[in-house]
Amino acid sequence: MTTVDHDQPHDTEKNTQRRFVMPEGIFAWLLVAPALIFICIIVAWPLVETFRLSFTDARIAGENYVGFENYADLAGDRKFHATIWRTFYWMFLSVGLKLVLGLIGATLLNAAVPGKALFRVLVMPPWVIPIAIGCIGWLWLYNGYFGLLSGMAQRLGITDGPIEFLAYKTSAFYSAIVTDVWVGTPMVTLFLLAAMQGVSRDLYEAAWVDGASRWYRFRRITIPQIMPVIVSMALLSAIWTFNSFEIIWILTEGGPRGATTTLIVDTYKTAIGNYKFGEGAARAVVIVILLALFSLIYMFFLNKVNKHYGSK
Amino acid sequence: MATLDLKSISKSFGQANVLHDINLAIKDKEFVVFVGPSGCGKSTLLRIIAGLEEATDGQIIIDGADVSMAHPVDRGISMVFQSYALYPHLSVYENIAFPLRVQKMPEPELDDRVQRAGEILQLTDKLSLKPGQLSGGQRQRVAIGRSIVRNPKVFLFDEPLSNLDAALRGDMRVELSQLHKSLDATMVYVTHDQIEAMTMADRIVVLNGGRVEQFGSPMELYHHPQTKFVAGFIGQPNMNFIPATVTSTSAAGLSLETRDGFSITVPVETAGVSAGDAVELGIRPEDLTVSDADGMTQNVNVVERLGGVSIVYGTTSDAETRLCASLDGNVDIREGSQISLGISPRDCHVFRSDGQALRRTDAPMVAS
Repeated sequence: MTTVDHDQPHDTEKNTQRRFVMPEGIFAWLLVAPALIFICIIVAWPLVETFRLSFTDARIAGENYVGFENYADLAGDRKFHATIWRTFYWMFLSVGLKLVLGLIGATLLNAAVPGKALFRVLVMPPWVIPIAIGCIGWLWLYNGYFGLLSGMAQRLGITDGPIEFLAYKTSAFYSAIVTDVWVGTPMVTLFLLAAMQGVSRDLYEAAWVDGASRWYRFRRITIPQIMPVIVSMALLSAIWTFNSFEIIWILTEGGPRGATTTLIVDTYKTAIGNYKFGEGAARAVVIVILLALFSLIYMFFLNKVNKHYGSK
Repeated sequence: MATLDLKSISKSFGQANVLHDINLAIKDKEFVVFVGPSGCGKSTLLRIIAGLEEATDGQIIIDGADVSMAHPVDRGISMVFQSYALYPHLSVYENIAFPLRVQKMPEPELDDRVQRAGEILQLTDKLSLKPGQLSGGQRQRVAIGRSIVRNPKVFLFDEPLSNLDAALRGDMRVELSQLHKSLDATMVYVTHDQIEAMTMADRIVVLNGGRVEQFGSPMELYHHPQTKFVAGFIGQPNMNFIPATVTSTSAAGLSLETRDGFSITVPVETAGVSAGDAVELGIRPEDLTVSDADGMTQNVNVVERLGGVSIVYGTTSDAETRLCASLDGNVDIREGSQISLGISPRDCHVFRSDGQALRRTDAPMVAS
């Protein structure tokens, strides 16, 4: 008898519940709907629209369907090819420097030194202050007449006259790289630092008991242990650097004579600067395809790295 | 050959003193277990021997050489960590080879040693796997393999079995004991598990509050605990402590009476106690038997039937003191009833109010 009594309220509860339940499928879609609508508006629709525009000669006056003409033009455009190579060079050099400096910085910040909390805070300003403000600071530094760098070079007798860092093709490109690295390094540093702090202390102690030197422990424990984070940071950083626009635009606007024009700057100049929306859209689609390819190849290697370093 | 001597080791972290004047002489090829409750300083003491922690005061002497300031490698020790501390990105082979790679040992000798360690620990077919692909027990063996290949003078183990499940722990205890025999090495082992201590150790160091309570063989600790703490720590279920008053002393021992009126004469040395003193009568649950009359009365609260034995939990008849008895598995006892427990005087321990034990004169095994 007791079992029956016990079951009774349970059954009723089930019945009441069933009355209020809507079909599972609809409920699921309702839950997803807000995010879905949002993504459609800010990602999907612009992407589709860009893709459509890339097959037109859209300008302010209007647009006509032109088929693959924009793409054909790009395929034959030597200047555009140079821009692609320049963009990849820009990306690899900048990301490489950010990772190397980030690794050195994280290692130093991870060391047991007095006042390390203060050092950790001091690393952040380039990342925390608005990029535009940081870049204007660099603009002054690079200025030939009142800039700090040119001034110091002259005082120390390294040069006779003022140097306009941003006025020559080579120096402008590398100056922009320096600024980009300055902005991008703190975040890499902090992520790598966080990863380093996640490495079990026991591993270091075990290695120390076995007689491993500091450098040996760094090479054979720290690096392999944080490799998955290094690799992920490299990908994120690569995409941001590839599409890094504000820094170049504020410093050089892509000049002099296109020396600092990367794909994203070229796209902006074409579409927004010259009102050639169709041609600009074609460039944007090229960026999407290149980054997608790059990411795919990268993911392939990321998987391998994760497997090798046993992060499960 | 490796003896390990600790001479007046003390350690403090800032204001907190965690170890007070530890003196131990560990013999060659001895398996010594440090045991004690959490926070008693046993792991800190092990880390000081390893060189991971520096003693505030005192000397560590291995094979006659003072190594207090030496690097772990120069001390000739190796350590197995509770977390195993395996390198997840390296294969089992490379994990075991790690200390040899650090030494830049030539490849043929290195391979020879790793293979031999693999054989001893039955890991030969696992050498190419990653630690993540192994079970807990296998990982523990890899960690041991890494300490074997260096041929250390002293092996240190920091709670190596505490991450394993109970069944595996039992197997690994046996394996470690066998390993100790086959390696013929000096081993120091830290645990909070008294069963591990009792089963594996040649001698046990019981630590409490940063002090050595007693250093002796497992049976010595069991039959002749020097303090109430050791008596309570060694043995499962724990010893019963029943407050009592000394009624008289004689050549036969100490006569005492418990609060609920039970009297007994225990064969112990009576120096330092006199009639009227408050003491505690210690009796192990397994030494209690069911008796018809004249025994100590127990109010039964809970009976745990384990098959072979029944553990009976309850109180003394005045309900003041907890009393636990380990009786025959088939004994017919109901919860809520009252039973009479038989006590043999030679099984009893007596502790002074300061926690020191009175030396037993008629115990099964006389202290060496």
